[in-house]
Amino acid sequence: MKIALRSVVKAFGGVTAVDGVSLDIGDGELFTLLGPSGCGKTTLLRLIAGFYAADGGEIWFGDRRVDALAPYERNIGMVFQNYALWPHMTVRGNVAYGLRLRRLPAAEVEDRLAEGLRQVNLVGLEQRYPGQLSGGQQQRVALARALVLNPDILLLDEPLSNLDAKIRVQVRAEIRRLQKQLGITTVYVTHDQEEALSLSDRVAVMREGRVLQVAAPKALYERPATRFVADFVGVNNFIPGVCRGSADGGVTVDTLLGAVRGRTVADVPAGARCVVAVRPENLALGAPGDNVFAGRVALASYLGSTLRYDVEAAGGLIVKVDIRDPWHHEPLAPGAAVTVSFPASAALALGDE
Amino acid sequence: MARPAGAAPARARARGVALPALGVAVIWLFLIVFLVYPLLRIFYDAVTDEAGAFTLQHVVEFAGDGYYRRSLVNSLLLGLGTVLATSVLGFAIAFLLVRYDFVGRGLFGYLTLIPIVSPPLVGVLGVTFILGRAGTVNVLLQDWFDVVRPVNFVYGVHGVLLVETLHLFPMITLNVVDALGKIDPALEEAAESVGARGWRKLRTITLPLTTPGYVAGALLVFIWTFSDFATPLVLGVHDLLAAQAYLNIVQFVDRRLFRMGIVISALMVVLALVFLVAARRYVAIKDYSSLSYSRIARRRLSGPRQVVAVAFLSLVMLASFVPYLGVALAAVGRGWSLTPFPVQYTVAYFERVIVETPKYIVNSFLYSGLAVALCVAVGVPIAWLLARTRVPGRDVLDGLNTLILAIPGTAIGIAYIRAFHVDLPGLERPLTSLWIILPIVLAIRRLPYTVRGSYASLLLVHRSMEEAAASVGATGLRTFRDVTLPLTWRGVLVGSLFSFMTSLQEASAVLFLSLGGWETMTVGIFSFYIAGSANEAAALGVILIAVAALSVVVINRVAGARMGGMFG
Repeated sequence: MKIALRSVVKAFGGVTAVDGVSLDIGDGELFTLLGPSGCGKTTLLRLIAGFYAADGGEIWFGDRRVDALAPYERNIGMVFQNYALWPHMTVRGNVAYGLRLRRLPAAEVEDRLAEGLRQVNLVGLEQRYPGQLSGGQQQRVALARALVLNPDILLLDEPLSNLDAKIRVQVRAEIRRLQKQLGITTVYVTHDQEEALSLSDRVAVMREGRVLQVAAPKALYERPATRFVADFVGVNNFIPGVCRGSADGGVTVDTLLGAVRGRTVADVPAGARCVVAVRPENLALGAPGDNVFAGRVALASYLGSTLRYDVEAAGGLIVKVDIRDPWHHEPLAPGAAVTVSFPASAALALGDE
Repeated sequence: MARPAGAAPARARARGVALPALGVAVIWLFLIVFLVYPLLRIFYDAVTDEAGAFTLQHVVEFAGDGYYRRSLVNSLLLGLGTVLATSVLGFAIAFLLVRYDFVGRGLFGYLTLIPIVSPPLVGVLGVTFILGRAGTVNVLLQDWFDVVRPVNFVYGVHGVLLVETLHLFPMITLNVVDALGKIDPALEEAAESVGARGWRKLRTITLPLTTPGYVAGALLVFIWTFSDFATPLVLGVHDLLAAQAYLNIVQFVDRRLFRMGIVISALMVVLALVFLVAARRYVAIKDYSSLSYSRIARRRLSGPRQVVAVAFLSLVMLASFVPYLGVALAAVGRGWSLTPFPVQYTVAYFERVIVETPKYIVNSFLYSGLAVALCVAVGVPIAWLLARTRVPGRDVLDGLNTLILAIPGTAIGIAYIRAFHVDLPGLERPLTSLWIILPIVLAIRRLPYTVRGSYASLLLVHRSMEEAAASVGATGLRTFRDVTLPLTWRGVLVGSLFSFMTSLQEASAVLFLSLGGWETMTVGIFSFYIAGSANEAAALGVILIAVAALSVVVINRVAGARMGGMFG
């Protein structure tokens, strides 16, 4: 089932939570709404679910316009942030509730219940109450409850935010596997950029009620459209400067570090202020490269899989440099003089906001 | 708590343990002597003869008496009926108040609290003035419609049901309002997302989620109705268990009947215990509280529906204010008979109960004041023990505190008569002949409110707040003064005020224990009415209502309208 949003608007009092959002979500796609808290992503999800009525715009599921329909008329399955399991019902009661409402024959209820519980590995816990389950188990009950009705669309509102880090990665993989297997169109809300990148077919980054960029995870990470996206998704160094001129997607920017060669996604006019965004993993110590500058080690942070140096360059600019294999690297003392280089292909010139 | 200066450190350390231990011991002693012992005593009396030998003769006699059996069934049916009626009324009102928005919602929310603070005795008197055989309504019916025989609105079990329902429905409303407010909106949204709506959602999701709060309220309604003897007696209903207990005990002539009264009160305690344990068991497996920061938005009712809602609430409120109207009119009406309203007005009745015999008011305030002092002295430490320590026996302490709420005042009164009828060593007089027994019984009866109020506010002060104060150098006493006290005094005050207000209104236990010269306002109301001086009774009733209303205003000011927790 495809989803189409056309200029959807929702305001609460004087605050516009969703400000003219238009999106097209493909059939069977796992589409993520990513953004900081208060960006309107949950509001948008609840508009799709039908818990809020839009103030303007249209919402289409396939060729059915749904924005005037109640939630139960939209055939959605929703997983809530805190799971919203009914505490007075067993696992069985929670999952079968929607089936019973549809007045299905008892045998079919049993079949679909068993199938639903099997899908999420909950067989054997049917008689437990939600209070007797671990967080991960509760999460899977919520998922089973949503999926057992064979919804056209699955909506997930920060479903992993209440789980421990290890469990989170595990459940994340399960959700993705199940979604692929069922081929169900899914809208997933999160503020965790790593989660969004690892899970999604496409990601929409939102800010202040607007969608800034829609892209597949790799494109989003490597070719952010704006400084905000470049900053919110992953870690970035921003080197301010003035654009000297661009040609064939290549650009030269005058910065505190001297002339920096990079590339652009959108044209930046000559003479305009801009920033060069370059990720820590694309910087290297010493090696020759397209762009080279000198600095001193200000701080070394050991992160296990990487070692991150804060290098103080000309004009007091702090640049983060990742060493990817700290096992075979002798850490430098603070104050040590270093040479840093990065390729032009990894340096992205973005308009200054 | 004065400590001698210059005590050796070792002794100070020893006292650091000994002093709290002594405090705990005093609390336990108080509860054992004035709660556990009297209750055990009625069971002992129920199964022994005059010589103290074990016998089941009284129990067998009770069980073999058809009248008592019928009274038992009547009492259970009346209790169930009242729970049913208050539930329908209480739920409907709670839903309207929490989920919908309409003209006057705030005002109705406030008015809902009023019936519960009306002293029980006063309510039934007021009802007889308005709805009795010669009451306003019957007089109007005769004048306007030439009805010859007065309509019997209240005399009989239906009247008891009416009076108890109008008095007690706020207990359900308060608890359900509280429970509804705690429901995570996502639980209802989840139900909608899988297709439940309207009545279906209400019945399968919303109502079950309110059960913990509702059951607590329903239990109190049941026990209150079950153990109330004054309302049925005023309305001429005698074949109820509580009424039989009262009638059998207050006639001090027939020893056999007296024993029957004891057996009945023992039975009432057992039943209260059974219901309490059953309710606790039922609620214990249902902890539905969630840390929900959002609330379900109120739906604005459409015009016609608003009219229906407001009309319904107005009708209920009007009905529950009938007693007030009746009492107020009777308190100032001279020679009010066979007219819808008094013809002449006077303050003579107020003069009589305030100036001529001030003992009712003086006694009430003295005993209730002392009772609250006791409540605070015992209840605040209990709350602290429950909230902050792992003292052995906490569960029992908590259980006893809840048990008090469930035990009928009638049973406590009878238990005290039996338990403290022995001469005190050194005094050569029994405790029952000293007025101090009244503040003590009031303190025991109203202890739970002080404990609950204090406990709730102690829970609000997270341990880490006190630890934070200690970490920046505050001593234990400083921490208490600067952090704990400012955050908890409201809860303690609200709990104490509630204890005070309900002490003033206590009728059942006090009626059993009161002797000449100790009469409180409630005793005065009862004896005036029984003696035929309804106007003086009404005047005392008005004073009681005024004090209660004032207390509610103060409680609301201090604590907001969240009185629900007090009855759970």
